[in-house]
Amino acid sequence: MRLIFVGGAIAYRALFNWTTPSMFIGTLLVGPVFQLLFFAYLGRQLGVANDGFYIVGNAVLAASALCLFGGTMAVSNERRYSTLSNVLLSPRSRTLIFLGRALPYAGNGLLVATFTLVVGKFLLNMSVPGTAWFGLILTLAAASLSAAFFGLVLGSIGLRFRDVWLISNSMVAVMILLSGTTVPRENLPAALRAIGDFLPLTHAAAAARELAGGETLANVLPGLGLEVAIGAGYAIIAAVLLKIFEYESRRTASLDTL
Amino acid sequence: MRVLRLIGIGTLMHFKTMSRGLFEIATGLIVPIIQATMAVYLLRAGDEPQNMVKAAVGAGLMGIWSSVIFGSGGAIQRQRWQGTLEMMVIAPRPLALSVLPVTIATGLQGLYTMAATLGWGWLLFGIVPDFSHPLLFLVAVPACVIGLGMFGLLLASTFVLMRNANAVCNTLEYPIWLLSGMLVPLTVLPDWTNPFAAILPTTWGARAVHEAASGGAVWPSVAACLAISAACFAAGALMMSYVERRARASATLALS
Repeated sequence: MRLIFVGGAIAYRALFNWTTPSMFIGTLLVGPVFQLLFFAYLGRQLGVANDGFYIVGNAVLAASALCLFGGTMAVSNERRYSTLSNVLLSPRSRTLIFLGRALPYAGNGLLVATFTLVVGKFLLNMSVPGTAWFGLILTLAAASLSAAFFGLVLGSIGLRFRDVWLISNSMVAVMILLSGTTVPRENLPAALRAIGDFLPLTHAAAAARELAGGETLANVLPGLGLEVAIGAGYAIIAAVLLKIFEYESRRTASLDTL
Repeated sequence: MRVLRLIGIGTLMHFKTMSRGLFEIATGLIVPIIQATMAVYLLRAGDEPQNMVKAAVGAGLMGIWSSVIFGSGGAIQRQRWQGTLEMMVIAPRPLALSVLPVTIATGLQGLYTMAATLGWGWLLFGIVPDFSHPLLFLVAVPACVIGLGMFGLLLASTFVLMRNANAVCNTLEYPIWLLSGMLVPLTVLPDWTNPFAAILPTTWGARAVHEAASGGAVWPSVAACLAISAACFAAGALMMSYVERRARASATLALS
């Protein structure tokens, strides 16, 4: 537990040392609010859905970019700062070390998503039942965690491929399109809907909208469970890929090759 | 004439340099294509399923702005990292004229985006780029790129004073998309946003391109875009010379 939580927190401080309060506020708090407003006004203009659809969807989405890039950075920045070999020399389980890395980013994602939801609610006058907030926070936490583990999968790919940021940037755009946070999923073709089913955020966004619409937490638990299961699935994939790529990097002596 | 030659050759050189980066090219192609796809599905889901060209053109414009904001935001910093900033500063031309080709090149790079979204829309969704004024479209897009390049110079000169220019770049992407009417018409925004939209060259550039594509008086928008952009260039040049003098005096030119 100490390895996961304390190790994760120390690594977060070390790898995220380049940020400043102004950068944090500008990129992670203000940026998602403008993204919400952009999609809300687009939705109004096109008559696709009401503001509530976009406020809740974009609050869930706000966690995605941060968690996805954070998960990617958790692995690939070790390589960039030439500290990856030190991590891999550790006698402790690398799987636990790297899974722990995703947790601070997930916590950060939860903070940003909650902030976006609250600001969106006040800016666009959305009414959320008081009883829904606990369930909403739980749902945003599940979404953040699964997005962070998905980021870890992408980060592990960065051990093998150089242009991991290209993959991360593209995946953020794919999640905007397919997760149902901005485009109603019933308007997507079946094949794209099926892909969306296996992406992080999709089931969390649906659950969050039901909660904001007055459903009880018990009724949305199946959707929330699916989101958690998908997050766990990505955690397992990340662990397996990290093992494989670590072995390959040692075998081909390409560990610190940028 | 010599100034135009400097800008032309400089733009070509920086455009070719930027076009060597796989990451920039791929990001400039893949992300806007996904955004165009999203715009198409949103338009189909909404009340305007017939206005598909708008989706492709709007996504292309969004890509051009992304290219300018991130390219211009890091223009000076990139020259520092490459070790070419000193050479630009000691060149016997105002620094602004040396930096302007960099920012125009970032706008030109955004043209990949426009081509990609139009091609993607045609191939996958059968959106024929049947523009109302095809020839004026070929005028409006370069005018928009030049206008955004000059606006980029102002941003580059301002960002060089900020240590956290990246944060500003990240924050400015969606507001400018929104305020410029690239995909969302300005009519749906609150009235108090109109003055802000009116002073942005991006608003007039996007309007000119949309008018060329869907119908409307293109020339007034082109003229407004270029006039505001020229003012941005003048302000950017003043700022640039101030920054240059300060950096020379404090010997911090090469410090990142």
